[in-house]
Amino acid sequence: MTAVLTEELGPRGRRRVQIAKLIALVFLLALAAWIIQRVAVTGNFEPRLWEQFVDFEEGWPQFLLTGLLNTLRAAATAMVFATLIGFMMALGRLALNAPVRWAARTYVELFRTIPVVLFIFFAYFGLQDLGVGWVTALWGVVIGLTAYNSAVLAEIFRAGILSLDRGQSEAAYTIGLTYWQAMGLVILPQAVRRMTPAIVAQLATLTKDVSLGFLIGYEEVVRRGRILGEGSPSNLLQAYLVVGIIYFIVIFMLSRIARRLEVRQRRKYGAGKMAGGAGLEDIEVLGEEADIDETEPAVS
Amino acid sequence: MIQFLIDNWEPIWRAFLLTARLALYSFTIAMVIGIVVAAFRVSPIPPLQRFGAVYVSIFRNIPLLVIFVLFYFGFPKLGIVFPEFPSAVIVLATYTGAYLSEAIRSGINAVAVGQAEAARAIGLGFTQLLREIVMPQALRTVVAPIGNLFIANAKNTSIALAIGVEELTSVSRELGQRQAQIVEALLGAGLLYVVSLLFAGAVFGWIETRVAIKR
Repeated sequence: MTAVLTEELGPRGRRRVQIAKLIALVFLLALAAWIIQRVAVTGNFEPRLWEQFVDFEEGWPQFLLTGLLNTLRAAATAMVFATLIGFMMALGRLALNAPVRWAARTYVELFRTIPVVLFIFFAYFGLQDLGVGWVTALWGVVIGLTAYNSAVLAEIFRAGILSLDRGQSEAAYTIGLTYWQAMGLVILPQAVRRMTPAIVAQLATLTKDVSLGFLIGYEEVVRRGRILGEGSPSNLLQAYLVVGIIYFIVIFMLSRIARRLEVRQRRKYGAGKMAGGAGLEDIEVLGEEADIDETEPAVS
Repeated sequence: MIQFLIDNWEPIWRAFLLTARLALYSFTIAMVIGIVVAAFRVSPIPPLQRFGAVYVSIFRNIPLLVIFVLFYFGFPKLGIVFPEFPSAVIVLATYTGAYLSEAIRSGINAVAVGQAEAARAIGLGFTQLLREIVMPQALRTVVAPIGNLFIANAKNTSIALAIGVEELTSVSRELGQRQAQIVEALLGAGLLYVVSLLFAGAVFGWIETRVAIKR
């Protein structure tokens, strides 16, 4: 796609790119050198500040990794609930009954404009105050994330269902299938396949948001990192860096999977990237599809 | 919840204004970062392309909360110290900037190939081509994604409470807990978020129809 903006360069253009390349390289190297110098000068390369992360005998790596397991457990639980509720809301938004449609729409619109932190606080502090005693920190995170992500997933499901040709549902009704039969046998098997990349991308976002459990004391990987870093030796910087790297690896893998699914699908079903999917592109940006890829598929 | 808002209007309003300022400042800087990084990524200069790609990759794959705590509690050990509010602005701007650059890049990619070819045919250089032909069209197509990112950024200001910024979520929670009205307090804060962000969404919708290219 870069080729769109710059064609074969002439000798002068090539020279100019060479010069720019050199300047950029020098600048970036200077930046890297400055960072390394900062870390070295402040003594943050000292081995005793890093030893903890490979000290299996004291159990610190295990401590962090079980924290990661807590993160993944909360993410998986919230994803299951969010998928169920999101699916119901998507059906609601497509229902023939106007009040149902209106209610589902209000749910989706409202819940997408409220910060996740507020949901988590409400689930944790608010529900306890209302006398719901069983809300532990884990459930605070799960409920909070479910509330927000069900609204986002509802839009993904709706776009996926709408992306199917009308003829599919018409044909299903014509041969005498009921609503649920048509959904289960004709619409969903096709729609789900198209939605999978967007759903996996949303799972990556949700997993990132589990870190907000930190704020209510849920012992996910960031909170564990802080406990480790505040102990002795005090190495918060190193602890948060390591937590960041752990998170990076997990989310990077998830978004790779999403990307791979999308590419495979495009190959299989031609250019049908949820053609006409109502505003799905918007959701992908809003849903913060965590991904990075140079080989952006060509715009067909 | 309305009663709670009325009773505590003064601190709530102050927190709301702080949140709004945080959202606006950070988004303005994020916009600059987004445009620069997007330009890096479509430039013909490989080191800048790689830098842009790495930047985006880092911020898209690490949770915002981790960046907040790393910047505010970790970086002081490198001698890099900022007060709470500027820290929050910097963190939000760098984070949202990464997403904005992706949105702008996809907008650039969405401009028809013939446009750039025609521009080159009449002799425009790279900067001219980008400024006069590609950007005006690209920015129009990305108004909706940018609007969504504005709202996402405004919601993300609440995470600044992790480093002690007294924004809307933290202040209403504190007031609510002190007065044993936590449910009312959080509902009230939610109401303020919903009203102001629905309004922001409407503004972006209006801009979108205004700048739409009529074909």
